[in-house]
Amino acid sequence: MGRGHDAQPILNKVPSFVLNPENVYEKIVEKKTLANEFLNDFLKKINNYHGDSSRSVLNILITLYDYWIPKGIGLGISRSIILSKGHASPALYTLLALNKEIDYDELDTFATPNSRLQSHPEGGKIPGILFSTGSLGQGLSIANGIAYAAKLNNENKEIAVILGDGELDEGQIWESISTSYSLKIDNILAIVDRNGFQLSGPTEEIKIKESIKKKFEAFGWYTVEVKNDIKELMIALDLVSEIKGLPRALIVKSG
Amino acid sequence: MVKMNLNYSYRESLGKALVKIGEKKKEVVVVDSDVSKSTYTKYFAEKFPNRFVSVGISEQDLIGFSAGLALGGKIPIAVAFSMFLMRAWEQIRNTIARDKLNVKIIGTHSGLSDFLDGSSHQALEDISLIRILPNFTVVAPSDIVSTEKLVYEMVDHIGPVYMRIGRDNSPKIYDDQEEFKIGKSKTLIEGDDILIISYGPMVEISREVVNLLRKKGFSSSLIDLYSIKPFDEQNVIKLAYKSNLIAIIEEHNVNGGVGDMISSFLSSRLPRKVVKIGIEDSFGTSARNYLELIEFFKLTPKNIEERLKVIYDEL
Repeated sequence: MGRGHDAQPILNKVPSFVLNPENVYEKIVEKKTLANEFLNDFLKKINNYHGDSSRSVLNILITLYDYWIPKGIGLGISRSIILSKGHASPALYTLLALNKEIDYDELDTFATPNSRLQSHPEGGKIPGILFSTGSLGQGLSIANGIAYAAKLNNENKEIAVILGDGELDEGQIWESISTSYSLKIDNILAIVDRNGFQLSGPTEEIKIKESIKKKFEAFGWYTVEVKNDIKELMIALDLVSEIKGLPRALIVKSG
Repeated sequence: MVKMNLNYSYRESLGKALVKIGEKKKEVVVVDSDVSKSTYTKYFAEKFPNRFVSVGISEQDLIGFSAGLALGGKIPIAVAFSMFLMRAWEQIRNTIARDKLNVKIIGTHSGLSDFLDGSSHQALEDISLIRILPNFTVVAPSDIVSTEKLVYEMVDHIGPVYMRIGRDNSPKIYDDQEEFKIGKSKTLIEGDDILIISYGPMVEISREVVNLLRKKGFSSSLIDLYSIKPFDEQNVIKLAYKSNLIAIIEEHNVNGGVGDMISSFLSSRLPRKVVKIGIEDSFGTSARNYLELIEFFKLTPKNIEERLKVIYDEL
């Protein structure tokens, strides 16, 4: 059937191929250490606003920005990132500051009325933020539309959309997961930040999520589970880049 | 039973207009939630299969997907029953309105037009829900000609637009040459005593109300307020100024509808009595035909004429 059931989970496996000639991995790890410090300083100033969600998404964001996007440029693919779980904005803003997309001092304006740095990122205010988020469950539908428009326009474009595991409670997620497969949107990549927590506590105590991988697979997606680790993420991103004809998902497990 | 000529098809007019705009504008993509046979977007689907997308029975996804198409440079037109589009009100607000995306939303089967399906299907709240959203334009054509012309107009307009139409309950009011602009209105009749403001199929009922009032010695004006947001403030104030009574007649809940909008507009400008005529804070109900519902909700020309006469005499 080609429905992704033969996707091999690479969780806990030793990376089996050489990553990069230019020490990209080492550079990203180094940046991650710095980003972690910056994020923790920032979170202290903003009363730990969605701190846990921001910390768990940091590896994902760094790997996408510093590995997946540049690699796409090399391949002639224009790649964009959507943070559907917009409440993890402190991580996003920290990285944008590190990448000099915004001034580091601007972080001090976070969540003030005239700031570009709204609590939940707003479209058009900051480079790279395609649309406003804040309401959960909507990112994948919108990403599907962007990816589909790119196909209609014959543009070589890929969209990565980062979803929270708690966010999967939203019904619209399952509407859009079904749409991706039905419309053969294979230029989309859903990344689930499987940190195991949602607002009120552990996810499985609030609404059972498992098996997220089996659910995505049942909806026709090529799905891979990985540890929340930069090296595993890089390997997984390379792996799913080879998959054509199916929407692809990475379930990124913390702990 | 009351006799009115409300037998033309809004949705057929829509279906044909979408094909015409599809021929002219290659960026137009029609997005459907498995109602293309009912909304007549099937015409577009047959003509342009590559620019027609069905996301299945998923209205929230319909709106999100359309938002994405707009971000990708397309002009998406999401067409579904008005009632079930309201299921995606939060998506409409948080994505399309907030980001001012160039998405066109067309709600069919609005008001009482889906008479047989009953209260679950009869959208009597949609104007209220959408007009309060910043950045949104709202239009409600009264007949098949204005439906076609406003489809072209909404596609030319940059930004979010909601169009409200009925099913097969359209009157024939305008000639094919008539033009319609967002923010404008049509003065169909001009008089002195009473100003009637209406939109959608109720414009035809209002024309009959004016005729009946004339027989009782009242001279009335009638505005077809096909553009609800923005609306033609100048024309409303001009005709309201010379009238003693203003009535808004709509196929919508009187709470939050155009009646409320006009009352609130006039309250700070003109001391005039305003009467809101529509569905009195209730849901719809099943019926075997449209006019049966018009009678049930006391919206026949005779009902309205009698009500207005009593109010006018008490002024």
